[in-house]
Amino acid sequence: MSESPLRLPPKPKPSPWAIALSIGMVVFTVVCARTVGFSFSGLIEDLGRSNPVAQGLLEISWGEMFSERSRRAFLETLQMAVLGTTAGAAVSLPIALWSTEVGNPYRIPRILLRSFNNVVRAIPDLLWAGLFVLGVGIGALPGLLALFFFSMAVIVKLTADTLDGIDMGPIEAAKASGASHTQMLRTAVVPQILPAYSSYVLYDFELNLRASAVLGLVGAGGIGQRLDFFRNRGDWGKLWGLVLMFFLVVVVVEWLSVRIRRRLV
Amino acid sequence: MIRFDKANVTYKGGVSAMKDLDLEIGDGEFVVIVGLSGAGKSTLIRAINGLVPLTSGGLNVNGHDVPNLNAKGRRELRSEVGMIFQGFNLVDRTTVLNNVLMGRLHQVPLWRTLIGKYPEEDIQIAAKALDRVEILDRAYVRATNLSGGQRQRVGIARALAQEPKIVLADEPVASLDPPTSHVVMKYLQQISRDLGITTIVNLHFLDLATAYADRIIGLRDGELVFDGPGSDADEQTFRDIYGRSLTADDTMAKQAAL
Ligand SMILES: Nc1ncnc2c1ncn2[C@@H]1O[C@H](COP(=O)(O)OP(=O)(O)O)[C@@H](O)[C@H]1O
Ligand SMILES: [Mg+2]
Repeated sequence: MSESPLRLPPKPKPSPWAIALSIGMVVFTVVCARTVGFSFSGLIEDLGRSNPVAQGLLEISWGEMFSERSRRAFLETLQMAVLGTTAGAAVSLPIALWSTEVGNPYRIPRILLRSFNNVVRAIPDLLWAGLFVLGVGIGALPGLLALFFFSMAVIVKLTADTLDGIDMGPIEAAKASGASHTQMLRTAVVPQILPAYSSYVLYDFELNLRASAVLGLVGAGGIGQRLDFFRNRGDWGKLWGLVLMFFLVVVVVEWLSVRIRRRLV
Repeated sequence: MIRFDKANVTYKGGVSAMKDLDLEIGDGEFVVIVGLSGAGKSTLIRAINGLVPLTSGGLNVNGHDVPNLNAKGRRELRSEVGMIFQGFNLVDRTTVLNNVLMGRLHQVPLWRTLIGKYPEEDIQIAAKALDRVEILDRAYVRATNLSGGQRQRVGIARALAQEPKIVLADEPVASLDPPTSHVVMKYLQQISRDLGITTIVNLHFLDLATAYADRIIGLRDGELVFDGPGSDADEQTFRDIYGRSLTADDTMAKQAAL
């Protein structure tokens, strides 16, 4: 017995919006490429030219990876990333709680706090670093301050979004038992978001580690400042040596962080 | 003692869920509230611990003048009233013991709550509550890893840990199967008898109501339409409360057989 093929309902046509949007994006990309003067032939020509920076790749200075000064710069970068993340994470939990409806019954302060955090987040970390270098001078401190604000903005945003979707049942139970507001937050809310929050903190540490390499370019300490030093001297072999080392550190940290985060959530 | 005095609750949007309620519930009574869905059972229960404010009228609970309490007074009232929920309302990610310790919060200083280090005597009280519902051996298991019946027993233990004078239970067995429902109802009844705790339970199964209630209160559209001993309530009584003939859905045993 052969079954006759089932007839499906008529297939819906792609929405005109989707078509218009796709076409629009292609056109926009082409226009942008034209305006910045991008062309593939130019790109290939440029890459073909001999270039001292690229040549430095052939003369990587392995020794630079372990020189006293570079090691100290690395350590400073790690310290900046760890301290910036820790300090940012510490203030983020209460701020995230106070900027959501479950954690803060007062509308106006809640909105102010959210807006403040949005403003902080809108400023890129490099700009923060530049501003703090102007404010407190060259060194690790402006870098640390930049990472602190950047961490706060990231962790508060992610945690607040998580808070908007938690189970309200335990909150009702805590209230009904006569718990104070802060006790309720600690016992009914924090345990629900702790795994997600920890995962955001680790993710933020990854971001900070990478950012701290760039921050040095504006004078905010760490490995970036050492990279900038070799760049100005045109010492490309040493520059690449440091970049390679940094790359390895970032890969290892990310690998670890991703594994831990997977277990958390 | 609980006393409603011409109490009214009208929700935003105009639904009148409690109409001129006059009701007195004495210490140690085991009361079951029945009524169709939307009759105002949850409203009545939640008014008692101030989760739902009265629109007008009086309500006195163990000497607390509920409509006129400030925030501190409301917390004091709530610390004397344990509550049990249909959906258990446990924190899944934390241990059974931590869930039960929530019932001790009104006695625990804030700094201890923040660092999660409860006084030994409060841990003892929580342990005793868990023992009473025979689930002490699961104290360090995460709440997620329990069955529905076990979760509700933890919910009961949490309420007991408050050392309450009153226990409110809003459809505590609605998410449980019949045998488990009976286990939970027996614990509630036993606790009420042993400890003299006033217990008020919302139920929608008639056979459960008559099996456990000392006193049944019937609500329809926010109005009290029946108040009498559980033994007085027969099928005609429930037809009157519901304003319709009974169906298999109204009885747990019959519904389970469907
Ligand atoms: N928060 C609320 N806002 C508006 N109306 C509500 C609210 N809670 C309950 N109601 C309404 O009040 C009536 C009684 O509800 P409820 O006390 O929950 O009844 P029951 O528990 O008997 O099902 C229903 O009509 C319900 O829709
Ligand atoms: Mg209800």
